[in-house]
Amino acid sequence: MFFLTYLRRELRHRMRQALIIAIGLGVGAGLVVTVTAATSGISNAQAAVLHSLYGIGTDVTVTTAAAVPKSGSGGLGSNAQQENSLSVGDAGLLNASSVTSISHLRDVAAAAGGFTLTGISLPSQGSGAERPAGAFPIPTTFSVDGVDLAHLGLGPFASAKISSGRSFTASDTGSNVAVVDANYATAKRLTVGSSITIASTRFTVMGIARQAQGGGSANVYIPLGRAQALTQYQDLSSLTGRIDTIYVAATSASDIPAVHKEISKLLPAATVTTSGDLASEVSGSLATAASLASDLGKWLSIAVLIAAFAVASLLTMAAVGRRVREFGTLKALGWRSRRIIAQIMAESAVIGVIGAIMGIALGFGAASLVDAIAPKLTATVPPSFASGNTNTVGVHLAAHVSVSAILLAVVLAIAGALIAGLFGGWRAARLRPADAMVQMQ
Amino acid sequence: MYTLSDVTKNYRKGDYTVVALGGLDLSIEDGEWLAIQGRTGSGKTTLLQMLGAMDRPSAGAVRFSGRDLAGLPEAELTEVRAASIGFVFQTFNLIPTLSAIENVETALVPLRIPAAKRRARAAQALADVGLSDRAQHLPSELSGGQQQRVGIARALVKEPKVLLADEPTGNLDVDTRDEIMSLLEKLWREHGLTLVLVTHDTSIAERAQRVGVMKDGRLFTGAEPDDAS
Repeated sequence: MFFLTYLRRELRHRMRQALIIAIGLGVGAGLVVTVTAATSGISNAQAAVLHSLYGIGTDVTVTTAAAVPKSGSGGLGSNAQQENSLSVGDAGLLNASSVTSISHLRDVAAAAGGFTLTGISLPSQGSGAERPAGAFPIPTTFSVDGVDLAHLGLGPFASAKISSGRSFTASDTGSNVAVVDANYATAKRLTVGSSITIASTRFTVMGIARQAQGGGSANVYIPLGRAQALTQYQDLSSLTGRIDTIYVAATSASDIPAVHKEISKLLPAATVTTSGDLASEVSGSLATAASLASDLGKWLSIAVLIAAFAVASLLTMAAVGRRVREFGTLKALGWRSRRIIAQIMAESAVIGVIGAIMGIALGFGAASLVDAIAPKLTATVPPSFASGNTNTVGVHLAAHVSVSAILLAVVLAIAGALIAGLFGGWRAARLRPADAMVQMQ
Repeated sequence: MYTLSDVTKNYRKGDYTVVALGGLDLSIEDGEWLAIQGRTGSGKTTLLQMLGAMDRPSAGAVRFSGRDLAGLPEAELTEVRAASIGFVFQTFNLIPTLSAIENVETALVPLRIPAAKRRARAAQALADVGLSDRAQHLPSELSGGQQQRVGIARALVKEPKVLLADEPTGNLDVDTRDEIMSLLEKLWREHGLTLVLVTHDTSIAERAQRVGVMKDGRLFTGAEPDDAS
């Protein structure tokens, strides 16, 4: 109890210095919590972006470069009377049989094909004589994804959540039914039961879906077979049995490199992209934020922690220096060095705990501030992937303080304080009672 | 109690060596009161550090109750200080954050005495020096004389064999000085202590049984107090 009495009195006596050290440690720990929370939020946002781009469960995508440049697109200008037409993206075409070949590979859990088209809708304008002078109709475009109904868990549709109506079933394979993205449905005033026209073919909206984190890759989802059958545009007559993307799930995350290798061997001309490759290609403010968090954030945290540890150590050693008379007296009275060191370490540990509490509070506060004021970030995928189009999604950054971040903050603050205590204890241990007496005199 | 044989203590100061004690011989009997005088820098404090097991000589032997302190490991020296030697300092050296009674207890902590017994002995020691009513006061709330009384109580609470006092009245006014010296003398007689007291003050030195004078690192005993200057 004498130990605790002495400890309590000393901390109260040196409250200001103790608080300074605790605040320093708290700022360092709080910064670690904040950076960890922001990084976690960014990682979650990146994962959600990737999921929305090619779906949850997809580990690898297979595409190929276009063999022949497309001559125009959308039928625009080719026929003034053509009101609805279709074009494929800039990605090349793969044989649907490749899906079967890939699904039989050793480390592959499942494979699904996909197709992304762009529908072009030109408002009806009547004969040239009736068209007002200088008035030209404005075409609207919308993206159409062909969904492999046998593998709804793969591809961009996998992360869609049905908000009204129903999703696809296997029996919809040959039906002209569609699931529409919620944002697109709102813009076009579509509901369950509405009709939409894709390349002059009428489809019935049977469901409306929301994609996580700002939107998926398409406005409209239709069965893959129906997408392949749409041949409005002459060049598209070869779509039957063709796809532009294969989505692959590996048996485990550790098998992804092996799957990449096996598919590259099977389809040497194809572009095989893992989720890691795609992540590195995502640009936009989300990528910038990720870079800032991992580079600047990490090094800033390290620098602040080192500074906090150094300041704590210096202040503790200075405090021991001011207590030379006190510790020298105790040694003269027969106190062992280890008892004095234990006293110093206990004082430091208490300061560390106070610093940890401050750090956690600061971390939570800063994370809340990030949630409140962080601007909406964007993520852009270049056109070489999946849909063949540049795809930009908006992402809200939500900083998440995890239990592990809190524990890390506690460990860092207390470790910093104990390191400072060790320096102080080392200095106290080197005191000789005689030296202390000389200084005291 | 003490036998010092050819004790030398040197200190390195940069490129040269300071000889604090130069071949000192001294015997102190049990229960004796020895006063040590000398100019500043004559080695008085260094001698007290040798007697108090607070430092080791560069050469020679310091025998205390038959044991050569110079040859003991640090842990045993600490035990000797804890159990057998009481110190009274010129500047009192009380722990500022502890009360009077807690300061007295600090001398008993190394002896691992149970808390209740420790508190009781500390209270008695304060009573012996007339400070029972100041037990809960912090040093900052005590006068110089009262602080030195607490220092004396702390030195004696462990019932040491020897009491070493380094200028115990050096920071006190004349009246308080007499008060403290009377107290020390009384306790010396009552407890049968061996008392070694360092002082500049001849009037204080004259109260001792024997006076030694430090000069150039050597101690001359049996000299008259007048020869200390």
